[in-house]
Amino acid sequence: MISLDRVSFGYDERDTLSEVSIDVPPGSFHFLTGPSGAGKTTLLKLLYLDHLPRRGRLKLFGEDPATLERRRIPQLRRRIGVVFQEFRLLEHMTVVQNIALPLRVAGHRLDDYQADVMELVKWVGLNARIDAYPRELSAGEKQRAAIARAVINSPDLILCDEPTGNVDPEMGARILRLLIELNRLGKTVLIATHDLGLIRSARGGVGARILRLADGRLTLGAAEL
Amino acid sequence: MARWFRFARAAEAPPIVPMSGWSAPLTTLASAAMSFLAVLTLIAGLAADRLAEDWRQDLAGLATVRVSAEPEVLETRVMRALEVVRTAPGIAAARVLSEAEHLALIAPWIGGVEALEALPAPRLIDLTLEGDGPDAARLQSRLDRDAPGAVYDDHAAWRGPLARAAAAVGRLAWAATVLVMLAACAMVALAAQATLTAHLDIVRVIRLIGGEDRYIAGAFVRRLALRGLAGGMAGAGLALLALAALPGSGAGGVLGGLLPGTFGWIAIPIAVPLLTAAIAWATARASVRIALGRML
Repeated sequence: MISLDRVSFGYDERDTLSEVSIDVPPGSFHFLTGPSGAGKTTLLKLLYLDHLPRRGRLKLFGEDPATLERRRIPQLRRRIGVVFQEFRLLEHMTVVQNIALPLRVAGHRLDDYQADVMELVKWVGLNARIDAYPRELSAGEKQRAAIARAVINSPDLILCDEPTGNVDPEMGARILRLLIELNRLGKTVLIATHDLGLIRSARGGVGARILRLADGRLTLGAAEL
Repeated sequence: MARWFRFARAAEAPPIVPMSGWSAPLTTLASAAMSFLAVLTLIAGLAADRLAEDWRQDLAGLATVRVSAEPEVLETRVMRALEVVRTAPGIAAARVLSEAEHLALIAPWIGGVEALEALPAPRLIDLTLEGDGPDAARLQSRLDRDAPGAVYDDHAAWRGPLARAAAAVGRLAWAATVLVMLAACAMVALAAQATLTAHLDIVRVIRLIGGEDRYIAGAFVRRLALRGLAGGMAGAGLALLALAALPGSGAGGVLGGLLPGTFGWIAIPIAVPLLTAAIAWATARASVRIALGRML
């Protein structure tokens, strides 16, 4: 599913990530942890193809994005659902428009997906808020809308960047349950978080593994939870 | 059913890129200004071309023989010159101007008919040419031999510079039209860049959820092209109104012959906005795709 072989990346001359090697098999559930500034978000950016590695080889679904034809990159991205740290919902669109955006971008007719969208909206508990704009939502509601948008296309891989960073513990636990449920449906889930409480609360619920980054280097590789 | 209506209302797709920012009205305004200038330079170019062609047509088929001689032999020389030109190839007709016609022709330059009566004025033979006209050198040689003092004048001395001047004015007007169009391209490229920069966050989200460059570019390009079309229509309409309001622009007026005909009045307000929209579409598409191409 995901394979990083001695991958390095930096925004300037300095490497933010250095010689990182990871294998994430399909259907697995991983936490990516480490202190702030360790390179968690940068690693996720490489995985959702916001950047390409400076050195080393990244493979997603068996494809190397660095050698992939440019026009095939969007197809690869559609297999990945991303929950961004700061949600990144489009402010001029309602909840349901934001959730349905990946369908629209992929060229689907929304009418054909009405039942799917409404089921998903209900699943994340936003059925009373479908016509609200992001500015009218709480952080937890935004987070759930972002999760719904990430999974509407039924992606194979779900990447979450600090999904509980902006919500209270109760909402954090609810969001974790949603992600575990998605994993049970066969989705590969990778959650970047420095919230050890969240990781502990997953114990028993899912067979998760932990990856730990410190100063851009992997210090713990796929340890069992 | 109610649930469906609620979904349909809530999911009704707004533009991917929101309608906001200063670049939107400025694009329309700049398109209107460019279109206004384009119509004026276009009509100036067409008018100069028409003027040059009219002068060429008017003068190309005409020539003159001027006969100067002592008063006692003047009439004889005129008749001899007339015989020469009537038998020369390339001349369809020749007619001696009457004294009254002659006086009327040169009186404005001299200051009145009374002053002319005291002067030994030359006589003029008006020629209508056919084909390429006569061989000027050979005709002059025959005139020198048979009617000394007769001079063949095909107006080449001032016809050429006049036509060249009109053609140069025409080229200048066309160059101005091209410059206006290039300025429109630059303006749209800047507007596209500004819009893209203003909505970079949205663009990045759409890319990361799998949006293709052509899909994202389409959202910008459609809008800029529509603004170009709206601005182009307004500018072309205003330019035509301004031209129609010029003094002497009516059918019999001084400018009437230089302004476009009925076809022009219909074609220009259609063609210029479409051209403005096409420029906006092509320029926006190119600049947005270039900008997106720099991203992964």
